[in-house]
Amino acid sequence: MCISKHTKQLPLWGLLLFAMACQESDVVKDDTYVFRQPEHFPEATYTLDNNPVTEKGFLLGKKLFNDPMLSRDGSVACSNCHQQGTAFADSQQHPLSKGVEDREGIRNAPSLVNMAFINEFFWDGGVTHLDFVPLNAIESDFEMDESIENVIAKLNNNETYRMLFKEAFATDEVTTPYLLHALSQFMVLMISDNSRYDQYLRGEDVLTNEELSGMELFEAKCESCHAGVLQSDFSYRNNGLDAMPLDSGRNRITENSRDWGKFRVPSLRNVELTSPYMHDGRFETLDEVLEHYNSGIQDFATLDPSLKSGISISNDEKTKIISFLKTLTDREITRDPKFFNN
Amino acid sequence: MKTFKSTIALLALTILFISCSDESEDPQTATEGTVSIEFDNFVGTSQLNLVEEGSADYTYTTAGGQEFNVTRVQYFISKIILTGENGEVFEDELNVSADADEIKGYYLIQESESASQIIELSNVPEGTYTQITFNLGIDEEGVHEGAAGGILDPATGAPFWNWNAGYIGMTIEGQTAELVEPEFQIHIGGWKDIVPEDGTAQKFYNNVKTITLNLDVDMQVSSSLEPEVHVVTDIQKVLGSIDFTATPAVHSPAAGRTFADNFESAFIVDHVHQ
Repeated sequence: MCISKHTKQLPLWGLLLFAMACQESDVVKDDTYVFRQPEHFPEATYTLDNNPVTEKGFLLGKKLFNDPMLSRDGSVACSNCHQQGTAFADSQQHPLSKGVEDREGIRNAPSLVNMAFINEFFWDGGVTHLDFVPLNAIESDFEMDESIENVIAKLNNNETYRMLFKEAFATDEVTTPYLLHALSQFMVLMISDNSRYDQYLRGEDVLTNEELSGMELFEAKCESCHAGVLQSDFSYRNNGLDAMPLDSGRNRITENSRDWGKFRVPSLRNVELTSPYMHDGRFETLDEVLEHYNSGIQDFATLDPSLKSGISISNDEKTKIISFLKTLTDREITRDPKFFNN
Repeated sequence: MKTFKSTIALLALTILFISCSDESEDPQTATEGTVSIEFDNFVGTSQLNLVEEGSADYTYTTAGGQEFNVTRVQYFISKIILTGENGEVFEDELNVSADADEIKGYYLIQESESASQIIELSNVPEGTYTQITFNLGIDEEGVHEGAAGGILDPATGAPFWNWNAGYIGMTIEGQTAELVEPEFQIHIGGWKDIVPEDGTAQKFYNNVKTITLNLDVDMQVSSSLEPEVHVVTDIQKVLGSIDFTATPAVHSPAAGRTFADNFESAFIVDHVHQ
């Protein structure tokens, strides 16, 4: 009894000492909701100083991410097109995203992992800060078709949300920046850095001979665009899908004809899970994607110069490259309970 | 027990507060004053007066002789700098925040809200100032701070483009006798300034303009003087040689470029109240 009383009081004195010394405590904390910079990744681009990740902010972001209330008729949530099982890309049955009233979008919803490390978002790079990304999905008439004013009004009329925003951001009123900050907190923790490839880079695992051959082939044939640890140089290129591209792509943002039909080189993280492929989801398998580079390149004025004669890839090489690409699959992020919708 | 714990926690917090708070502030050494800047919107030589949407009362005429009226005028002013000839420099503090009350240095001038047309700069060091510089629009630095509240919140009226994300520097909307459907919308935005690495021509149209105006007087600032700079913004000059039949709507950086090029000539310092 007496001992238990003492042990109960000790932490209080510990707190007092901590307070007087103004120093970081050595106590091991739960780091589930702490932003972590993987050593082998590019430095985070997200403005964490303006919006540090907290448990309450993350959990609020998760609730919002899964809440169809964000759409006009309460039918579509962010999670409809960004599912954990596919590394937060769309389900494989949806080449193009499905919005309210089953309206079809114009592009394939990409994976949201590792968004904390990139500078430009969407296939055309029109958005340059993660906070502003959800505004497009909310207000686009073929996605959620709702005005941000209405979303804010709905949230303010909901007692639970008012309380959760107050707990996360100490605000009495729900406003746009807090909504966007909560969603960003949820998204920046979608860090996918524990694939077998990452474990190989960290010296924790080995790759098979086939995977290593695939990696060498990938470096020789693909790496000029799919560069670096995230397999993208994040440039905008026309990879020869159409002789007359209908989607203007990057041109919509730069208003420059030399960018017609160009799209951002996507990261290939979890590419095994994110079928179908390309901005319009036209290819269902990685084999089809590689065959496109081998034999399907269509010429157009903006075609990337490196693809003028295609990329010669034999069937054996395809098998090896696909083996390597599958080492980019991170089963930890697809199974991490902190993202579960519960 | 619970009360006891709370008391200890409170005590701990109090000690934390005392031991970690700043030392008492340095005594003021320099004298500072306040400067007000009023933005007064005109169309040519007439004071701007807004009309209701749908009004067929066309009060104004473009340089090319097309009749129009105005339902909305708003623009962002940011990065205000005052300078003097003896090395006086005042740079308005900038801060982007989710908390509307913490936003500093960014101002949305709205014709529909007279209070928004006066910017008050405090803590301006004592001295003689002869020039004012500001940005029309919000540049990369502001956009890259991320989501913000108050005058920068799109849900409460901040003019913002989602698809090419950034703030719209100036909005001019109204009706013209020249169009069957009389509404026109001129949204001048675009802040990206990216030179392609391959050496080809500049992409993007950065329509954020830095405007420098001479005060034409020696404006004295001190703790006992509160001068007011009266700036006139001429919407007719921004519209320039617009032909509403060819350009009833502007919704992209490229289309807004010709208007952004007119910004500099559209602002003048009318007078300074000393």
